[in-house]
Amino acid sequence: MLVNPRHPALDVAFKAVAEPTARDIRLDSPVLSPSQTNNEAFQIFTAHPQLVGLPVVEAGRPLGLINRGYFMDSLARPFRREIFDKKSCTAFMDDAPLIVETSTSIQDLSFLVVDTGKKALTDGFIMVENGHYAGMGVGIDLVRMISTMQAQKNRIVMESINYASVIQRSYLRSSRGDMTATLQDHFVLWEPRDVVGGDYYYFSRFDDGFFVAVFDCTGHGVPGAFMTLIMASALDHVLTHENRQDPAAVMATINRMVKVSLGQVTEHGEPESGDGAAGAENDMKSDDGMDAAFCWFDTQTNVMTFAGARTPVLVSRNNAEDIDIIEGDRKGVGYAGTPMDFCWNNREVALEKNDCAYIATDGITDQIGGERQIAFGRRRLKELLRTHRHLPMSEQRNALKRVFYSYQGAHSRRDDVTLFGFRV
Amino acid sequence: MDDFYVPATATSPEIDFRFSSNTLGIRGESYPENATAFYGDALRQLRLYLALLDATHVEINVELKYFNSSSTKILYTLFGMLNDCISKGNDVTLNWFHDEEDETILEFGEELYEDFGQLNFRAIAVSAA
Repeated sequence: MLVNPRHPALDVAFKAVAEPTARDIRLDSPVLSPSQTNNEAFQIFTAHPQLVGLPVVEAGRPLGLINRGYFMDSLARPFRREIFDKKSCTAFMDDAPLIVETSTSIQDLSFLVVDTGKKALTDGFIMVENGHYAGMGVGIDLVRMISTMQAQKNRIVMESINYASVIQRSYLRSSRGDMTATLQDHFVLWEPRDVVGGDYYYFSRFDDGFFVAVFDCTGHGVPGAFMTLIMASALDHVLTHENRQDPAAVMATINRMVKVSLGQVTEHGEPESGDGAAGAENDMKSDDGMDAAFCWFDTQTNVMTFAGARTPVLVSRNNAEDIDIIEGDRKGVGYAGTPMDFCWNNREVALEKNDCAYIATDGITDQIGGERQIAFGRRRLKELLRTHRHLPMSEQRNALKRVFYSYQGAHSRRDDVTLFGFRV
Repeated sequence: MDDFYVPATATSPEIDFRFSSNTLGIRGESYPENATAFYGDALRQLRLYLALLDATHVEINVELKYFNSSSTKILYTLFGMLNDCISKGNDVTLNWFHDEEDETILEFGEELYEDFGQLNFRAIAVSAA
């Protein structure tokens, strides 16, 4: 079977990107003509122990391929040499080997080889140029070539993701700077699952307090990271001296901005699909947003004003046994299903000196692990925070991390993880 | 109409929609790279099935250990569709399986029940074998 899966005119275009072709794994091989005998074939196989197959070629055209194992086994039987030695070498030849043009891409070639079953992998295959015999290829070289190409592609993708991570981290620099300058005792545990991710935080200091946001954008990896930069730069634009004490209003503004900029609304300002149903079936339309906690903390009064989009704040009071969970509202920011004019609520939380407050994305509580292979859960998180409340924040972080890592054990990380905490 | 089946992978659940016996099942973990694409066919089939439904009892068994936020949105869409079909004279039982110690999954089920009150919601605690 002669296969030339690509139109010759296309080859020129494909050469420009230097995609490896069958030519790159072509081997020169001894060949036989049909007028030669089985004895001659036997001599060649004996002289070339590495040869898996021997092509038979007539007037430049491939006729077939002699498989070493089959040929040798056949001749090894009693009286076979005597009967067949002087007959044409086509006697034990496979007359329908895989034949490919040398210009066939490695990818197309690998599909063709797989389609022939085991045969082309074990016997090898014949290469032709414009129908004329040009050499042979063998399975091991094809596998080696595919592995190299795969490794190269992975390397390119990883280099690109690593650099994306440099950008994502750089954008955190001013938040980190403000945080360190404002908070005496605090920590951030920020661990994107795939080098970059959809979890992020934002911190901005003012004369009379600070604004902090922890958010979990849809997706993780590169798409998640795109979203975090959209959200963080939206915050940069929206947050001002005027609205700093009203996180719910900041959240509502960002909701509108994101819905408009990602086209998650119709011209009439209505969500394109109220229940998200139509969106779910159209994978080109964006239905992205974030779960988030936005907080304003007034350093004079120690009152925290908090607006939450499917994200709570946890408070560990100095004089209380239990950890308080202050729930936000149950709508995410920016999603197609969140109305344009949705209003989140501000909740005021009065804190006292030495109280600790924490914001976590769902990456910690939803992580699968432990003996029963179930989610870490809020109960465990609360228990941990309660146990370690007396420790300096940086040590709390280490303790949490230790327990969380050991809970996760050999399970893969399911999501990005972020936990922010500070002591008043 | 034909039943719809997708086997589970490490990052996506088994989907076992036996329309012929009005029994639907989702089982495993759900964090595919693109949840919208993964659930697209299942939701399309379900929509067709629900459109034909008339005074029928439907049972859906959900046994998920983990689902990411984009899968959550899909689940809301799915339960919304089931909830809506009840107003057309059908009834739907949602069997929500969770490990007896898994508060996270149980709480999510209870949230679903708050939002889709028409569903006959049954939380079923599973003990470790």
